[in-house]
Amino acid sequence: MDEILLDVRGLTHRFRLNRRAVVRAVDGVSFQIRRGEVFGLVGESGSGKSTVARCVMNVYRPTSGQILYKGVNVCDPRQFRANRAMLQTTRQIIFQDSTSSLNQRMSVADIIAEPMAIHHIRPKRGTLRDEARFQLKYVGMDASYLDKYPSELSGGMRQRVAIARALSMEPELLVADEPIASLDVSIQAQIINLFRHLQEEHGFTFLFIAHDLSVVRYLCDRVGVMVAGKLVEVAPTAELFDNPLHPYTKALLSAIPIPDPRRERARTPYAFDPARFERDGELVEAAPGHLVLRKGGGAE
Amino acid sequence: MIRRNPWLYYGRKALAFLLSVLVLSAAAFYIARLAPGDPLVSYYGDRVERMRPDERARAEEKLGLNAPIHVQYVRWLRGALQGDFGISYKYKTDVLEVIGGRVGNTLILGGVGFVLIFGLSLGLGLFCAWNEGRWADRIVCRLGTVTSCIPEFWLSLVLILIFAVNLRWLPSGGAYSVGGTGGVGDRALHLILPMTVTVLGHLWYYAYMIRNKLLEEARAEYVLLAKAKGLSRRRVLFKHCLRNVMPAYLSIMAISVPHILGGTYIVETVFSYPGIGTLSYESARYQDYNLLMVLCILSGVVVILFNMIAQIINERIDPRMRDAEIVETTEVTGVGE
Amino acid sequence: MNGRQTEGKNNSPALLEVSNLSVSFDTPQGELQAVRGVSFALREGEVLALVGESGCGKSVLCKAVMKLLNRNARVKSGSVKVDGMDITNYRERDMERLRGKLFSMVLQDPMTSLNPTIPVGEQITEAVRVHEPKLSRAAVRARVLELMRLVGIEDPESRYRLYPHNFSGGMRQRSVLAIALASRPRMLFADEPTTALDVTIQAQILDLLREVQRKLGTATLLVSHDLGVVARVADRVAVMYAGRIVETGTAEEIFYDPRHPYTWGLLRSLPAWAEPGQPLYTIPGMPPTLIDPPRGDAFACRNKYALAIDYEEAPPMFEITPTHLAATWLCDPRAPKIAPPVGGEARG
Repeated sequence: MDEILLDVRGLTHRFRLNRRAVVRAVDGVSFQIRRGEVFGLVGESGSGKSTVARCVMNVYRPTSGQILYKGVNVCDPRQFRANRAMLQTTRQIIFQDSTSSLNQRMSVADIIAEPMAIHHIRPKRGTLRDEARFQLKYVGMDASYLDKYPSELSGGMRQRVAIARALSMEPELLVADEPIASLDVSIQAQIINLFRHLQEEHGFTFLFIAHDLSVVRYLCDRVGVMVAGKLVEVAPTAELFDNPLHPYTKALLSAIPIPDPRRERARTPYAFDPARFERDGELVEAAPGHLVLRKGGGAE
Repeated sequence: MIRRNPWLYYGRKALAFLLSVLVLSAAAFYIARLAPGDPLVSYYGDRVERMRPDERARAEEKLGLNAPIHVQYVRWLRGALQGDFGISYKYKTDVLEVIGGRVGNTLILGGVGFVLIFGLSLGLGLFCAWNEGRWADRIVCRLGTVTSCIPEFWLSLVLILIFAVNLRWLPSGGAYSVGGTGGVGDRALHLILPMTVTVLGHLWYYAYMIRNKLLEEARAEYVLLAKAKGLSRRRVLFKHCLRNVMPAYLSIMAISVPHILGGTYIVETVFSYPGIGTLSYESARYQDYNLLMVLCILSGVVVILFNMIAQIINERIDPRMRDAEIVETTEVTGVGE
Repeated sequence: MNGRQTEGKNNSPALLEVSNLSVSFDTPQGELQAVRGVSFALREGEVLALVGESGCGKSVLCKAVMKLLNRNARVKSGSVKVDGMDITNYRERDMERLRGKLFSMVLQDPMTSLNPTIPVGEQITEAVRVHEPKLSRAAVRARVLELMRLVGIEDPESRYRLYPHNFSGGMRQRSVLAIALASRPRMLFADEPTTALDVTIQAQILDLLREVQRKLGTATLLVSHDLGVVARVADRVAVMYAGRIVETGTAEEIFYDPRHPYTWGLLRSLPAWAEPGQPLYTIPGMPPTLIDPPRGDAFACRNKYALAIDYEEAPPMFEITPTHLAATWLCDPRAPKIAPPVGGEARG
């Protein structure tokens, strides 16, 4: 479990709005993901968590900082070109909205086999169609779906197809950007179980972007908390939920609704004032494996 | 708040405008001269055929047609910048004077036509949206599609046949009766047919756009909320939906000005209505270079100008576009929570 | 379904009484029965939550009561009574008088439910003016500012002229609430009011809803898929599945003593109830299509406790307590006794 698969160092991404205004969507974010773990990145809308995912996948080019994937700096054009095939096959992304991320005019079999066709990978199981059938079975769907189109599938099914497509490349790192946010409760549970199965039985490594903390708590090994482009706290899941240190983390955790009327009504959310948020500071290790953003980097 | 510097903004727009006009003038100049035909014919008429080569050379030199095209163009440009656009070969007077005599007629036809199209299409669009799916809407939609498919020149001819030739109610062409005083009534009578063709040719296109945009808006969530707070259907349609459709409509209508003007050119020619359209047609036909140049540039300026106006309307009228910069910064920092 | 469930032993009278309401949509594939014979009552000053997954008909129900459905929808049967007055056959003009004044609405996405080209203050003003057109300009303005303060918009004077896009998500939803409350409605329909908002804002808006409801005594019908949200604000809960209400009771009864297998499934699939290290519970199968709904209990084929009769005859509402009713044959005295797999308190 100790090999570091993804090492993000001082990642900064700015969006230029016009000549004067610049938004720091991601500001000096550093974290590591070990092989075989599920790393959750949580935050509210606009916190920059999706931007991190996109930088990791080379969708955006970061303004500064390094992203080392298996020791290759993916932000460096020369290193990227030299390792292009490896980078494009072993990292895969799953998006929130499977309605728009799957081509509506392709059949399920074609969608799943497309990455293999693009990279000219010889299918292990004979034909591309066999491969698609295998992957579909892997995510819990039978072969009768092979010739269906995305519009004929339900949201949960579509998300499974998106996962099957990502798995067809036998990736080592799966980036899932809010993969369950648009699904119904009972379907969410199915997809969460699938992710858990993939990680436990097959050792996939996940970067799991989410805003629903109860899901993150259930699924992730370690969690990073982002607010306004800053990573403010990183800790093992149990440690983070039992002993949150940063005021924003406390506010976020206290806001999780509990499906239990008596306790939910007794709960008072911990208020966090974004205006007083201290951007400066650096991550310091407050407890073993538990990093928190503090000013000056010193003790409390 | 970040605000654009208006001087810079309009300065840049003006620069783009001038540059476009310059390119347009050069293109028009070259293409006109490369087209086959003899410009001397329009100046000297039939006499050209009897000219000796040396007379011809002298005539060409007099009109400045013997130099290479780029020299001619620079010469023309220098004159144009001083307000001298040369003389019309055909009318032997200053080009601006020739155009000045006609421009009023076109403005009446195109201007009144535009106002009619603007108002009628808005009304028709609203009417159809209000009656969506009912028989009134369906009939208007069918009729509109049919009329917008009829070519203008054909419609003109049919109308002339019916109202001028057979029924003899209306004059078949011109802007006023020959030898008449040109009184308001007389002019209006002459305008009826060309105006009808101009309006019918464009009306449905814009009315249909209004109708569909309104219906699209009517499915938006805010309409549901507006109804939930007790607003009547009429008020929702007229205040909320129409207001959100107007920016798109205004900018499309601004773009439509040259379009409608182009339509009047055809209509003018068919009705031999003495406007810019017929003049352009003649000048191109008789290689009346100087006249053609000014008419080309005039039309071009109208097109470019109204496209720019459309763009400015679009940017100004919608509050989201007006302070697009503020939107972004607000979203990111979450002001006000 | 019978009208029994509408009574209950709560003494306050029913403000809204919906009985046996059915709504269908005409689709190219056929008639989609979105709401199938639903009966419920909303009492003065209570918060009733309608819970269910997408497509179960909960939003359609709200719109059907306010008669805001699209043209392809038809109310097939049933009646809607307000204060004992039957409004089922009201025409559009009569409904316009009721909307805003009697009932009002808050929608899911505050970004799309506000008109983007009209300043927020003006949109609230419009809502105040609808039912009180004779109010003086100053009085209207005072009322608008009062409303903005009521929903927690600070410094309303300067925010009055701002456009929706100048506001953050939470502020927008507060503005929508101000609009909804403008004519002091007696009922508020809140359709997923916090789904589009961030978690930290979510609780604020819910507490605001609750506070407003206490201050003004507005009866609230909350539509939500999120059981956490429901737990926070609801007095009573109605669980919907495939166009029907399958269980209704007080919040405590539904969360601590659920009786319908679908309610069990919903509660058990929440990560908050999961045993660490164990896979999450999932309800097998998919919700049925409502174009040709199955005979009997629509949930039967996903229900491992299903009895033979479930496939034949739809269960009536069985009364467990005067406030707690469930539509499942398992509550029939002749049915085998099953210990509910959920109930009790969540971890976390």
